[in-house]
Amino acid sequence: MTPLTDRFILNVQGVSKSFGGLKALQGVDLQVKTGEFHAIIGPNGAGKSTFFNVLTGLLRPDQGQIWINGVSTAGFAPHRLIRLGVGRTFQITRIFPSMSVLENLQVALIAHRHQHWQGWLSYESVQVQRAKELLDLVGLSAQINQLAYSLAHGDKKRLELAIVLANQPKLLLLDEPTAGMAAQERLAAIKMVHQVATQLGVSCVFTEHDMAVVFAVSTRITVLHQGQVLTQGLTQEVRESPLVQQVYLGESIQANEGSVGKVELI
Amino acid sequence: MKIKRLWFLFTLAFLVFIPWMLSDFWLYIAIEVLTFALYALSFNFLLGFGGMLSFGHAAFFGVGAYSAALFFKSSQMGVLSTFALVPLIAMMVSATVAMVVGYFSVRRSGIYFSMLTFAFQMLLYTVALKASWLTGGYDGTMGLKPSGILGQPSGYYFYALAMCVPCIYVLYRLVHSPYGLILRGLKDDPLRVQYLGINVRNHQWIAFIISATFAGLAGALFAFSTGNVFPSWLNWTASATPVLMAVLGGVHSFFGPALGALVYVVMEVIVTGQTQYWPLAMGVIILLLVYLLPMGLVGFFSKVKA
Repeated sequence: MTPLTDRFILNVQGVSKSFGGLKALQGVDLQVKTGEFHAIIGPNGAGKSTFFNVLTGLLRPDQGQIWINGVSTAGFAPHRLIRLGVGRTFQITRIFPSMSVLENLQVALIAHRHQHWQGWLSYESVQVQRAKELLDLVGLSAQINQLAYSLAHGDKKRLELAIVLANQPKLLLLDEPTAGMAAQERLAAIKMVHQVATQLGVSCVFTEHDMAVVFAVSTRITVLHQGQVLTQGLTQEVRESPLVQQVYLGESIQANEGSVGKVELI
Repeated sequence: MKIKRLWFLFTLAFLVFIPWMLSDFWLYIAIEVLTFALYALSFNFLLGFGGMLSFGHAAFFGVGAYSAALFFKSSQMGVLSTFALVPLIAMMVSATVAMVVGYFSVRRSGIYFSMLTFAFQMLLYTVALKASWLTGGYDGTMGLKPSGILGQPSGYYFYALAMCVPCIYVLYRLVHSPYGLILRGLKDDPLRVQYLGINVRNHQWIAFIISATFAGLAGALFAFSTGNVFPSWLNWTASATPVLMAVLGGVHSFFGPALGALVYVVMEVIVTGQTQYWPLAMGVIILLLVYLLPMGLVGFFSKVKA
């Protein structure tokens, strides 16, 4: 019995995951429609990272099912998942530090176009035009020949986004897209992502600590608490829900005020 | 770009004229340099570009040498047709062995990958040592000197050159191809490559097989130059040789390991001519290398130039 998966770019039903005695996720449901910006929030230890790793194939759920773009992804290794039109960024930016910005994009484009078994041509002229388009999109054109490790932190995040977009994803999964940024940079960063994703018609699921960032771009919010969905709904509803304010937002706002200016160690 | 091409042609021309410049003794040393250059380059294809430290590469050098030796011993054909097939046999057998070894080894990364290659090497070493009916056991396989023109130092030199240069060219093209760029990506961040849709294990597996194939050819070419193969060629101490050559020359440049092979072999000849303490000299060289030239000789030269 396949539910009406086609309406959703991402459909998660009853996903559970335990580590020994710790129930990290218990029956989590999530539906994301095309074009949505869905934030997953919750205090530390709520299960956000586990949920993300289950979504992206790093962990296998003990129970439950996940459909991406209508395809059941049970047991898919990450590289197969990606081929369904998924792009993932990481909390700690993952790029190719020893390569130039252009080469970073070429790796992604070669992978996307299945040219990775091509062993005789020189890679240097491969997909340069498309790489430049993607760099334009994220505003990194000026740094095209710079080595990736020497980029500023925010530019590394842009580069990772461009790499991920090379796959022409329908669904973006962003793990803490503003992690490690100063408070004042975060809004600008997420708005850039939002603008690019909207322009390309890409749906997006992201985890985030900073409530200002969440409220700025999300259309819907899922609140995780101790591995369970505490509440789920339109951003405005969740924001005003007394339960959420009591359990999560209250402590988070305090915690955030305490952490402004501090370096995140994650 | 043009300058690079000129350098290639100049080096190639130089290599072609070597037999007229060297004595027979040094010509055999030149053959050793050639074969070990191919060996070190194939090894560095994995280490320098794929980020995979194989600590059992001597196994493939040895498997190539033994398979070519056995084929040579049993061949009923003339010398020339035998030696037309020798590279193919050596490459095919080492590729086949590498398919099995690589399949299991690439399933682990970092030090665990190295330990797996090490373990398989010890298995193959034991086979070479104990399967006397096949390998000659402890005494090795001897009498591998070809007759006729290939028995001449210059004849064999040209043969080895004709085998090594195309293989090195193939490795060069691979490193600079889309396949090679993905391989470099794996060295930087395998998880990122996987999250771009690449089957990382497959990519590493193929790299492993390619590397072992050329290492096997190098072993075969070296065997007919010395005229024998010994089990010690597969021993774990022998696996340090390509590591040292690659590090000496510079793992970050394509031709670094070839330069490393040249310096290593020539120094070994000079030092062992003076004293029996070659390992001592080697130890000192490595110490100096790590402290003074962490990027290898090529890294040093490009710094001097800049």
